[in-house]
Amino acid sequence: MPKPFRLALVGAGMVTQSSHLPAALASDKVQVVALVEPMRQRAEELARWYGIAPVIVPQVQDVLGDIDGAVIATPNDTHMRIALTCLQAGVATLIEKPLASTYAEGEAIVRAGQASGTVVAVGYMVRFRENILLLDDLLKAGYFGMVRRFAHQAGTIGGWTPMSSYNLSRKATGGGVLVVTGTHFLDCMLHFWGYPDDVALADDAQGGPEANCVATFRYTSTATPCEGVALYSKTTELPRGLIIETDRGIVQVADTDEADNLVFRPHTHAQVEHVVRRRGTPPYPQGMSVFQRQLDDFVDACQQGRSPMVDGRQGLMSLRLLEELYTRRKALNTDWYSQMPAKVAS
Amino acid sequence: MRRIAIVGASGFVGSTLVERLLAQGQDEVLPLIHSSGNAMRLARLGIDLPAVDLLAQDEIDAALQGCTHVVNCALGSADVIVKGLQNLLSACRKHKVKRFIHLSSVLVYGDPPPPDSVHEDARPFPNDPYGYGRLKLQQDRMVQQACRAGLPSVILCPPNISGSYSPFLVRVLDALRAGAFGLVDDRKSPCNLVDVSNLAHAIELALDRGTANGQRMFVTDDEETTWRDVIEGLAPVAERTDPVPVITREELLSLRTAHSTPSVSVMQSLKHLVSRDVRLALRQDPLWAKVEQALGQSMTRLGKVVEERLRLAIAGPPSVPKVNRGPQYNMHVCLQQLRGVRHACDLAKHELGYKPLYTFAASMRAFCAWYRSQHGMDTGSWDLLKQLY
Repeated sequence: MPKPFRLALVGAGMVTQSSHLPAALASDKVQVVALVEPMRQRAEELARWYGIAPVIVPQVQDVLGDIDGAVIATPNDTHMRIALTCLQAGVATLIEKPLASTYAEGEAIVRAGQASGTVVAVGYMVRFRENILLLDDLLKAGYFGMVRRFAHQAGTIGGWTPMSSYNLSRKATGGGVLVVTGTHFLDCMLHFWGYPDDVALADDAQGGPEANCVATFRYTSTATPCEGVALYSKTTELPRGLIIETDRGIVQVADTDEADNLVFRPHTHAQVEHVVRRRGTPPYPQGMSVFQRQLDDFVDACQQGRSPMVDGRQGLMSLRLLEELYTRRKALNTDWYSQMPAKVAS
Repeated sequence: MRRIAIVGASGFVGSTLVERLLAQGQDEVLPLIHSSGNAMRLARLGIDLPAVDLLAQDEIDAALQGCTHVVNCALGSADVIVKGLQNLLSACRKHKVKRFIHLSSVLVYGDPPPPDSVHEDARPFPNDPYGYGRLKLQQDRMVQQACRAGLPSVILCPPNISGSYSPFLVRVLDALRAGAFGLVDDRKSPCNLVDVSNLAHAIELALDRGTANGQRMFVTDDEETTWRDVIEGLAPVAERTDPVPVITREELLSLRTAHSTPSVSVMQSLKHLVSRDVRLALRQDPLWAKVEQALGQSMTRLGKVVEERLRLAIAGPPSVPKVNRGPQYNMHVCLQQLRGVRHACDLAKHELGYKPLYTFAASMRAFCAWYRSQHGMDTGSWDLLKQLY
């Protein structure tokens, strides 16, 4: 049996508590040797909660000689500094999405990974969902026909509440709901269909991170031109999911970690729907979280000298798309009362 | 210059008030939030949003430093509602706040409210099943006590709040779309509403008008709106092709009885305890599994007839519910039609000079415009997106 992969978790915030640490503890491939967190008490509480005794240090420099890899789960605008420190020391990194808060920062990370020959993986864990893996296979095989349009949406009132409140700062996140919620789908879209030929964005930011946005995408130079829309909200509950319209029907893709099937409604028979599920042995053991699948893939990539499922270059492509969208942004109307003729007084 | 703290700024009313005050630009506005998750509507404005835990007296004391006016729009657990307000009032008195505006609720008068609650001097009698009205009444009394102790206070008492972002209208719309709303169409079902901008306007007036003697004041749209008007106002976004089911008052009352929470019963609890689901869950624990096995063996020794009689005596015969072919109504929404009373905002008009900024019709149009935008109904992909509903 190979020696366990010595892992540091950088950042003891919400996503580490709820996802990365449980994934690491569930994996027989890794040993959590360090928690890197400037707020020592937070890390101590986390270690106590899970009954582990890793080294607790305020900065990753303090453990570079003792680890094989690091999961970087800190505010987006700190990713580059921490990742460069790790990569320059030959320590592999799995960086929470997005790769960085700007394209330039992301580029520096990818370059550092290439220079040191070290793995850079990006935490787009949605790609490890069984229904997304199945969709990927079936889209490539043309199973559903030719894609014409797609639409993805997700909306919550509240929800993700990072301990540092960095989500309220445009500088710290690099954007708003598009980055926080939408970037997972953008990554999938880039993976399925490549970089779009034309994009547009409308959002409601007025100096801060946007709470609502609508992005549109057009693929015109591909063999089968298609277009899509992505709608995200932090002020409205929207049912999550992806709908793909093909020349043969409608594919509905549930947006949950547990989903293992797709629903197909053929145009020819509007009254029926097919539940499409993979036969045989599932790609991952039952009960294995997407975060553990992602972590195991990262460890395997490091130990086998291959690329992880989502590598730095793909993470960089997402940043390019995010920046292009923000560059082209237009303002959403938010003054719902401005055109109201029935205003009675002032 | 006034320095106005809005506590619970990230909520529906708080956000609207902060947006309006910032747009007016006359005051120093201090939006205080509980946590960052719900605050994106304000964060998009690029403003500072200090987080304050109302249960931490030192935090709220520090946050209110230099504030001349405080508006309380905070919601939360029962603990936050009561203890949090106690801390807030204490901090306001400490900082000699010039005026404290508190948001109450018409639920302090009960659900349904008594006929004389047209005006504020009716006797509060909160009886809603969720206990919210009782907590709000407790809050009102705390504010009135603080007022008597020297904190000038105004209590504004809104009914359901409409307009853009309205959670109430979203609930009604969801029920309408799901076929879970039945209209009591007897033309006697008033729907007490206040547009969120009208309410925010009333708060703005209350910051320096009126006697601030802790009196509760209704704030409404001051129109004779009925539930039919609301349903018709939602039609542009409801996308219903079939008519809204009509239900009589009597039918709704009988449904309320059927849906009422069962009362405490030892026999019922015993039945639950011996139910198959509970026994299956207990069997997961080795000790309980042994106990259950031993009990089962004892029962078997009594003989099959006795065992069956015992089981029947405790669990009763199997219950086979009738298949319901009618609509599954959302009782929480539908029952609101039985409230019956139309609350008047005469006192707010007299005391504060309140006059609604927007009519009910304008409010509904604003809600529909907001809803269409938020749900992508105008994106050209609505035909795809609506398949997710």
